Amino acid sequence: MSNTLRILLRYEWITFTRNTYQIVMLCCTFLLGLYSIYYGQSEIKVQRDTIRDVIAIEKKEFDEYRTSFQEKSTTESQKKKLQIASDPAYAWHRHGYHAILHPHDYAALAIGQYDLHPYYYRLTGMSLHYQIFENEIANPVKLFVGNFDVSFLLIYLFPLLIIAFSYSLYSGEKENGVLPLLNIQSISIRRIIVIRLLFYFFLITSLALLISLIGLFVSGDILASENSLAAFFWMFGVVLYCAFWFAILFFIVSFKMNSSFTAISAAGIWLLFLVIIPSILNVWVTTKYPLDSTSLAEITRRTSLENEEDVNEAKEVIYEFIAHNPGFKGSEKLIHNNTMAKAYAALTALKDMHCQKDVDHYNNQISYRNQWVSGFHWINPAVNMQSIFTHITKTDLSTFRQFHKAIELFHSRISYFYFRKLFWDKSITEEDYLKLPTLEIQTDTVKWGTLIVIGMLKVSSAMILFFGIGFIMMKNKKI
Amino acid sequence: MNEVLLIAKKEIQIALRKKLIVALAVVIVGLIGVALYTGYVAYKQQKNIIEHAQKENRTKWLEQGDKHPHIAAHYGTFVFKPKTILSLFDFGLDTYTGTSIYLEAHYQHEFMFRPAQSHSSVIRFGELSVAMVFQILIPLLIIFLAFTAFTEERENETLRLLLSQGVLYGTIVKGKLVAYSIILFVIVAPFFVIYFMLSMVITNSGSITDIGLRIGFLIVMYMLYLLIFMTFSVWVSMRSSSSKNALLTLLTCWILFTIIIPKTTANLGESLYPLPSMKMYKEAIQKDVRLGVDGKTTKKDRQEQLKNEYLKRYQVDSLHKLPLNFEGIRMQSGEEYGDRIYDIHWQRLIRIFDNQNRVSSLSSIVNPYLAIRNISMGLAATDLNTSIHFQKITENYRRALIRKMNLDMAKNSKYGEFYEYKADKNLWKTVEGFQYKTVSVFETLQLYLIELLSLCCWGLVIAILIAYSSHKKRPVL
Repeated sequence: MSNTLRILLRYEWITFTRNTYQIVMLCCTFLLGLYSIYYGQSEIKVQRDTIRDVIAIEKKEFDEYRTSFQEKSTTESQKKKLQIASDPAYAWHRHGYHAILHPHDYAALAIGQYDLHPYYYRLTGMSLHYQIFENEIANPVKLFVGNFDVSFLLIYLFPLLIIAFSYSLYSGEKENGVLPLLNIQSISIRRIIVIRLLFYFFLITSLALLISLIGLFVSGDILASENSLAAFFWMFGVVLYCAFWFAILFFIVSFKMNSSFTAISAAGIWLLFLVIIPSILNVWVTTKYPLDSTSLAEITRRTSLENEEDVNEAKEVIYEFIAHNPGFKGSEKLIHNNTMAKAYAALTALKDMHCQKDVDHYNNQISYRNQWVSGFHWINPAVNMQSIFTHITKTDLSTFRQFHKAIELFHSRISYFYFRKLFWDKSITEEDYLKLPTLEIQTDTVKWGTLIVIGMLKVSSAMILFFGIGFIMMKNKKI
Repeated sequence: MNEVLLIAKKEIQIALRKKLIVALAVVIVGLIGVALYTGYVAYKQQKNIIEHAQKENRTKWLEQGDKHPHIAAHYGTFVFKPKTILSLFDFGLDTYTGTSIYLEAHYQHEFMFRPAQSHSSVIRFGELSVAMVFQILIPLLIIFLAFTAFTEERENETLRLLLSQGVLYGTIVKGKLVAYSIILFVIVAPFFVIYFMLSMVITNSGSITDIGLRIGFLIVMYMLYLLIFMTFSVWVSMRSSSSKNALLTLLTCWILFTIIIPKTTANLGESLYPLPSMKMYKEAIQKDVRLGVDGKTTKKDRQEQLKNEYLKRYQVDSLHKLPLNFEGIRMQSGEEYGDRIYDIHWQRLIRIFDNQNRVSSLSSIVNPYLAIRNISMGLAATDLNTSIHFQKITENYRRALIRKMNLDMAKNSKYGEFYEYKADKNLWKTVEGFQYKTVSVFETLQLYLIELLSLCCWGLVIAILIAYSSHKKRPVL
C-alpha cells in the first residue's frame, strides 16, 4: 500500500469517526438489519408452523384409515371409516394429500413471492383445478406494502446510505474551500475521489455483508451442501450491488456539481431505478399482456353429469375416459359395478384434460409477461438484483411454477392410485397404504445458477459502464 | 398583497430558470399522462373481461337446463369483482385482492386470482398510478423546489436585504408559498380538470356510488396533502442552516414517510396480530359445524332436534306425512347453521385485519402519506373495506340463492325422492343477476376518521409552526 493511499485512508477514517451523524446512520442501518432478519424469520416460522400442522392433519387422517383395517367393524361409524379407507368409490375424492413447498433455509432473507402464493394444497382425486386456485389468507394491505426483509434493506436502503455517505465527496471539498489545496498535490483529484469512494465502499459493504452473514447463519447451516452455493451467491450479490451504487455515485460526482445538485441527482437516480422504471414496467406489462382469469374461474366449477340418474350418459363418459386412458380398461364389469362413481371420476378427469389448454394458455401468458419484464433487467439493476435474491432463496415465481408442475404430476399419481382400483373393481388394501403416492418436485427444470450468473453479469456491466464514464469524465470535466 | 405577489413572481422566475426543476415537472406531467393512459387501458380491458364473463355466467345459470335445485345449488355461480372507474386513478389493493369467487351450496369459497400472482417479484416495487405520482413523486418535486426557499436567500445574503427594505418575514413566506402553489397548480390542474370533466360525462359509474362527490373529496384531500408537504418544506428550509441540511432533512422525512414507516407499521401489525392459516381457519369452521358452536350439539343432534320440531309443528308421526320435503328444510337449516359458524370465524378474521391495519392507521398521525394513501384508496373504492364489503354482498347473494333452491325443493318435491323432481328456468330466473354498489362516500369517510383527523392536524400544526417562525424578525442562522 503506497504512503499516499495510507494517509488518505487514515484521514478519511478520522473524518468518519468524528462525524456523529454518519455513525448514527450506520448504527441505525445495522439495527434495521437485525429487525429485517427477525421479521423474515418470524414470517417463515409462521409458514413452517402451518406446514407442521398440515402434515400432522394428513398423518392423523391416514393413520385413521390404516387402523380401520385392524379394528372390528361393529359400529356404524367404524364401518363407514373402513368403507372410506378401502372403497375406492369413496376414497378417491375423500383421501386428502398435501402438496407442500417447504421454504428454502434462506427464504427469510428475501421473502419474494412466498407470501403471495399458497405453499401447500390439499389434493384428492377430484378435479385438480377445483383444488388449486384457492388462496392463502393474507392481509391485502400487507401484501401491497411488502416485507421488511434483508433484501428490502439491501435493495432500497443501502443505496440511500451510499448516497448519504458519498454525495459530497467532491462538492464538499469544493464548498469548504479545500479543493484548491488538493489541486496542488502530486496526486490527482480523480485518484483522491476513487480512494475515498473505496473507503466508503469497504465500510458500507462490510456492514451489508455483516448483516447478511448474521442472516445467513441465523437462517440455516451455511456449510450444508444446498446452502453453501446460495450463501456464496448472496454474499457476492451484496458486494456487486454495493459496487454498482458506488459506481453510480462516482458517475454523478464526476459531473462536479454542488452538493445539493449532486444529492438531488443521486436521489433522482435512486427514484428512477427503485420506483419509476419498475412501476412503469408493471403497468405496461399488465396492459401489453392482459390476463383473463375469468376463463380459469369457470373451470374451478364443481360439475356433474347432465342427468345424474341417466346410466347411459354415465356409460358414455366412462367410455370417453377409457378411450383416453386405455390402461384402465380391464375389468369385465367396468360399466356394471359402481357406474356412477366411475362416471363421476371419469368426468372430473376429462374435465381437467379438456381445460388443460386454457390453463396452459394462462400460464404461458404469465411466462410471456415475465420474459418481457426480464428483458428490461439491463436498464433495471435494482429489480434485477431483487430477482437474483429471490432466485437464490427460491422465493421467485419460477419456484412456484415448478411447484405447480409437481402438483400436476402428484395429482395424476393420486388419480392413478385410486382410479386403478376403482375401474378395476378392486378394494384398497392395508398394503396399499405402504405405497401411497408422493410429491416429487423436480429441481432441475429451472437453471437457477445460470439465471443468477446472467443477472449478476448484467449488474456488473452496468457497474462497469457507470464507473468507466465517471472515470473519463472525472478527468476531462473542468472544475 | 402586492409584495406577496412580487415575491411569488420572482420565485416562479427563479424556479423556471432551474433546469432540473423544469425537467422534473415535465417528467411528472409525463408520468401522470402515462399513468392515466395505462390506467385507462387496464380499466377498459378488465371491465370488458368482467362484463363479458358476468354475462356469460348469467346465461349459463339461466340455461343450465332442468335439474334438481340442489344440484343447481352445487353447480352454483361466479361473481367477478368489478373495476371502478376511480381505479384508473388509484389502483389501491386491486392487485392484491382476489378477482372472482365461486358461489355454491355448503361452502364459502375464498376469492381466487390475485392479479399480483401473475407477476414476478417486480410487482412488489409498485405500479405506476396517478395516485402514486401524487402521493410520492410530487412531494419529492416540492422538496426539490422548496428546500432552498430560505437557505439560498440566507446564503446569498438576499434575505437580509429584503428584511432591511421593510418586507415582513411573513410576507416572504406567503410569497414563496403562493409561488409554489401556482407552480403545482399548473402541473396538476389539467389533470384535475380532465378528471372532473370525466366524472361529469360518466352517467353510469357502474359499481361506485357518489362519483362526483368522491372526485371532489379526492381533489380537496390531495390539495391539502400537497399543501402540507409544501409548507413543511418551506418551514424546514426556514429552520435549516444550509441548503444541504434542508435537503437532507427533507429527503430523510420523505423516505421515512413513503418507504420506511408504511412498511414497518404494516409488518408490525402483522407481527402483533397474526393471521391463521387457511387450513386451520377451515378446520376450525368444520369442527364447529361437526360439534356445534357449544362443542356439544353435534350435527346429528341438530338434525334430530329439527326433525322432532317439524313433526311436532305439523303434528304428524312421520317425515313422509309432512306437507313439505323435509330434506329441503334439513339442507336449509344446515346451511343456516353453517352460515352462523362462518360468520363467527369470518368476523374474527376481519377483526384481525382491522387490528393489523389500525397500526398503520394510527401511524398516519405522524405520517401524512399514510393518511392520504388510505383515504385515496377508500374514495377510489380500491381499499380493503370495499373488498370486505364486496365479500359480504357476494356471501349474502350466495345465501339467498341457496335458500331459494332449498325452499323450492322443500315446497315442490317429496320426501325420499331426489331425481324425480326437476326445477326449470322459471326457478333459475327468480335468482336475480348479481349487482354490486359500493357504500356511500360518507360511509367510506367514516371509516377513515383517524386519517382525516391526521391530515387536518398536520395542516393546522404546520400552519401554526410556519406562522410562529414567520413572526420572528430575524432569520434563524
